[in-house]
Amino acid sequence: MPTLAINGRTLTANADATILDAARAAGIEIPTLCWYPKLPIVGNCRICLVSVDGQPKLLPACATKVADGMVVTTESHAAVENRRGVLRLLLERYPAEHLRNGGRARPRNEFEQYVARYGVDPTPLAGRDLPLRSGDERPGDPMIRHDMSTCILCTRCVRACADIQVVGVLDVAWRGEHAEIVVGADGDPDKAGCTWCGECVRVCPTGAIFETLPRQRFTPAQIRSPERVVRAVCPYCGVGCQVDLHVAGGRIARVTSPDIELDTPNQGSTCVKGRFGYDFPQHQDRLTRPLIRKGWVKDGGRWVWNGGQGAERRGGPWQTIEAEGQRSKPGTPPRATGKSVRELPLLERLDMDIRDRVATPPAWYEPFREATWEEAMELTAQELLRIKQARGGDALACFSSAKCSNEENYLLMRMFRGGLGTNNVDHCTRLCHSTSVAAMQRALSTSAASGSMREIEAACDVIFIAGANTTETHPVFGAAIKRAHGRGATLIVADPRRTELAGRADIHLQMQPGTDVALYSAMLQHILAQSLENRAFLAERTHDFEKVRAAVQPYTPERAAKITGVPADVIRRAAETYARGPNTSTLWAMGLTQHANGTDIVTSLLNLMLACGMIGRWGAAMLPVRGQNNVQGASDVGAIPFVYTDYRSVKDPAIRAEYARAWSVPAETLSLKEGLMVTEVVKPESGVRGMYIMGENPIISDPDIAHAEHWFQELEFLAVQDLFLTETARYADVVFPGASFAEKTGTFVNTERRIQLSHRAADPPGQARGDLEILIELSNRLGLPTPHQSADEVMQEIAQVTPSWRGVTHSRLEGAGLQYPVPTADHPGTAFLFAERFPTADGRARFVPVEYTDPVELPDETYPFVMNTGRQLYHWHTGTMTRRATGLDAREPTAIVEIHPADAAALGVTEGDLVRLTSRRNSMVTACRISDRVARGQVFVPFHFREAAANLLTNPVLDPYAKMAELKICAVKVEPVHASAPVPAD
Amino acid sequence: MSAHPTAAREYQPVFLGKTREQLDTILKRYPNKQAALLPALWLVQEARGWISDRNMAEVAEVLALTPAYVKGVVTFYTMYHQHPVGRNFVQVCTTSPCNLCGAEGVVKAFLEHTSARDLGATSPDGSWTVIEVECLGACGFATPVLINDDFIESVTPEKVPELVRKYREGRR
Repeated sequence: MPTLAINGRTLTANADATILDAARAAGIEIPTLCWYPKLPIVGNCRICLVSVDGQPKLLPACATKVADGMVVTTESHAAVENRRGVLRLLLERYPAEHLRNGGRARPRNEFEQYVARYGVDPTPLAGRDLPLRSGDERPGDPMIRHDMSTCILCTRCVRACADIQVVGVLDVAWRGEHAEIVVGADGDPDKAGCTWCGECVRVCPTGAIFETLPRQRFTPAQIRSPERVVRAVCPYCGVGCQVDLHVAGGRIARVTSPDIELDTPNQGSTCVKGRFGYDFPQHQDRLTRPLIRKGWVKDGGRWVWNGGQGAERRGGPWQTIEAEGQRSKPGTPPRATGKSVRELPLLERLDMDIRDRVATPPAWYEPFREATWEEAMELTAQELLRIKQARGGDALACFSSAKCSNEENYLLMRMFRGGLGTNNVDHCTRLCHSTSVAAMQRALSTSAASGSMREIEAACDVIFIAGANTTETHPVFGAAIKRAHGRGATLIVADPRRTELAGRADIHLQMQPGTDVALYSAMLQHILAQSLENRAFLAERTHDFEKVRAAVQPYTPERAAKITGVPADVIRRAAETYARGPNTSTLWAMGLTQHANGTDIVTSLLNLMLACGMIGRWGAAMLPVRGQNNVQGASDVGAIPFVYTDYRSVKDPAIRAEYARAWSVPAETLSLKEGLMVTEVVKPESGVRGMYIMGENPIISDPDIAHAEHWFQELEFLAVQDLFLTETARYADVVFPGASFAEKTGTFVNTERRIQLSHRAADPPGQARGDLEILIELSNRLGLPTPHQSADEVMQEIAQVTPSWRGVTHSRLEGAGLQYPVPTADHPGTAFLFAERFPTADGRARFVPVEYTDPVELPDETYPFVMNTGRQLYHWHTGTMTRRATGLDAREPTAIVEIHPADAAALGVTEGDLVRLTSRRNSMVTACRISDRVARGQVFVPFHFREAAANLLTNPVLDPYAKMAELKICAVKVEPVHASAPVPAD
Repeated sequence: MSAHPTAAREYQPVFLGKTREQLDTILKRYPNKQAALLPALWLVQEARGWISDRNMAEVAEVLALTPAYVKGVVTFYTMYHQHPVGRNFVQVCTTSPCNLCGAEGVVKAFLEHTSARDLGATSPDGSWTVIEVECLGACGFATPVLINDDFIESVTPEKVPELVRKYREGRR
């Protein structure tokens, strides 16, 4: 290791370190403008030039490698004079009047700090030869705008966009004094592929690229000096990005990402939702007081219902989701971004119309009256206990929430198990990775990812992504995958759609939807035929492989090609690439799991993975990519019907006794019977008569909504705890106003088993309360002793009953958090699992043979299209949050169906035209988006939109093991909605 | 990505049929697609007379680059036209030696006889654009002029009317 001296201090540094690296490591600051951590070094700003003894000229610290015996002076006379010169030249084209008249005391940005530090006086504007710079300005953009008069052409934004996010919206165009930053070829970020991640905003040292939302709502002083900055976990996807919430006036003024060099799952990035989707907690629709349905009155110390019966019992002045689906609606408006300012007013008006429709209509509040917490608590406790006494605990059920913290999920499951004696506790994992969990439990006795996201970026050679649209659904991880691909990893994508990653992939297996088993079996068959399987791994770490060898034998690539539509050669090439690795990581998401044979599909992928031994090494990760920011945690802490925390069975009396002791209840209180799952609860035969729903919106997310909506109306009692009066909450008897992610402290588990701590930044609005407080009080009222005062105390109890979390405390979670298992208080967490053995009884993985079966519904003459459902970049699930986030909603204000250009032409429809989609269950009207991302004969419908709910059409047939619905495939017909036969207008 | 397809539908791609074949031949000469950017842009300019923003986006797509990068390259070089130019594009050398030999008069004559009026402007009938350029490398034969791809030496103001007539009549 070379030894050098900087400013008289002797340091050692790695041979490949630069002078700047060595100086930073020693805490010596050298000014930088074009340099930024982790970005490619360009060395064009020349401000980091330093003196090195024996060198005739100054050297750039950012681009000069250290050498043994080097003597560096960072603030030599020559270096300082050079810096002044650099700053003076940059200031020639910088609006710097404020820096002349005492403004130097309060520099506004990184660049001005250097101007102030080195005491450079800008030339007065009048005495300048060159005009201020200009550049593309993103007029009309709802989230990011440019004021290029302050641009100093450091090109950080260009490199951040191209190298961190791997998008490349920005570049430098023109030459010499005319050089400027351009957005795409024509100034339209949309056409340039912008994903509005805001990476450019983060790196800009002068504020030339800035966020619009804070400026519209907060003063410059509030933005510049927030009251406090609080570290939280992003409320959206399972990547679990850490974000810094800037608080001003008790509200979130803006969101920034932590330093790029900190050890966080997001390494300083966020996506558009994380950075710009933070204003929903301030939306006018927020519930601020508990609501009770009019008709509940207190009579002689008890609450009784004396309102209407039958349809009126839960009726209200609204349309059902089914009826809304049939109505006409505005087509997709042209996007406002990048258009000339002259066109804007019209476009903005269009957006306004649409947004009014989305927020909770005032009439929805009519059936409710505002109530006190006492009334709401009393009524809920009375009714839950009444139903329990009259019909038994199993007549009650709760939906917990993957959006709530571990502590809240734990308390809700504790309340239902300990207080009400039923295991009917479930949450949206059922519609997410439940089939993965079933398959992974069967094969490996595990329920979570084996590896980490950062090993994909750093260490794996082949990335196999099946049924995951990572760049839209987990954008920060998607960017990491793109970076991995850029450094040379081979990318194989199995997806019926040509998603962004599929477009970039080295091999795209574009199969017919639902034919995964045939595809993976054929890959395995070919691997065996070529003897590429990992024999040592099979012999030492697995058993029952011979059964699978026999089962996949008939699936030759030729046969699979007929079933899947993927050419046999491509299957062979993918199989060989996968097996040769040497380190192949396997990622999958909803494309595999949301099928009526989802467990079999995941099993066939696991068989492929195990046969090649692609697990249990750094770089060979098994990663079911988790959707919600806490779907992993909600499952880990037992918000699923068959297990307590740590996936410990509810059927085992010994385990039951342990929990009864921890909760101070008699063991018999706890049921030994496994509870009902989400998809089983919402059925007439479930016997469930009373429900408690925390932060879920099943009336949009459940399959075949028309039936679900009817079912909820038939309940005896329904309590909902949420931020807004959602489509589900409008049928409730009692609505509790809860707290958003910014208004609570709690822990969340991301897709790589990382438990992270999110801090409270703001207070809930009005009388709304923290969800933990609500659950503590309700538990106590239900007779379950719940002495906890804070999330910290709840975590202590969780750690006590959860062996793999035993070493977790809130104080240990500060910073990067911990990847469980964390069995002891000094355990550092586990980055990857299964290096030695699997957690099965004998330590070996089990192979389970599976057979291909056709999807339940195949297209036919009446229903010729296959409908696929999923998410969009700008929206989240049922839209409760994102459709109330101004920036996000402005990007995708209307419901759409994606349809292939050739199919659209055959139907005679164009962009924005309305079509009616009809499945065997129901129909709805939505607008077309012409896109060749979908294959011919397929349509894609995002499920975020109440007014055109995809789940009206989906098939409620269930996976036999995990009770997952067939959300990804149903047969539909598509008909243009012509003006001659109009649908009812509003 | 989610480009707004309304614009995409009206656009006629350049790289179809013969132009696509030409591009494929060019691509074979280079180690990667990016390296073929300059010749790909020439093909566009040949086919369309100039390079529009939409053309840049198409080149970016075909060569797996970003539209902004292509724009950066197009705007860096002066010989790619970012605006429509006349069917006959006249470049007159006005560097010092030619200027001493009367290049200014040549420029003036071209402007007069082509009705292009101003340097860089296109004549009302769309057939002429005249610009001044730096050294064309023929100082011994002042004043050299490029009309489209034809290199013409020793041009004097007197020869201009004849040249203009010839090109107007369709010799390109």
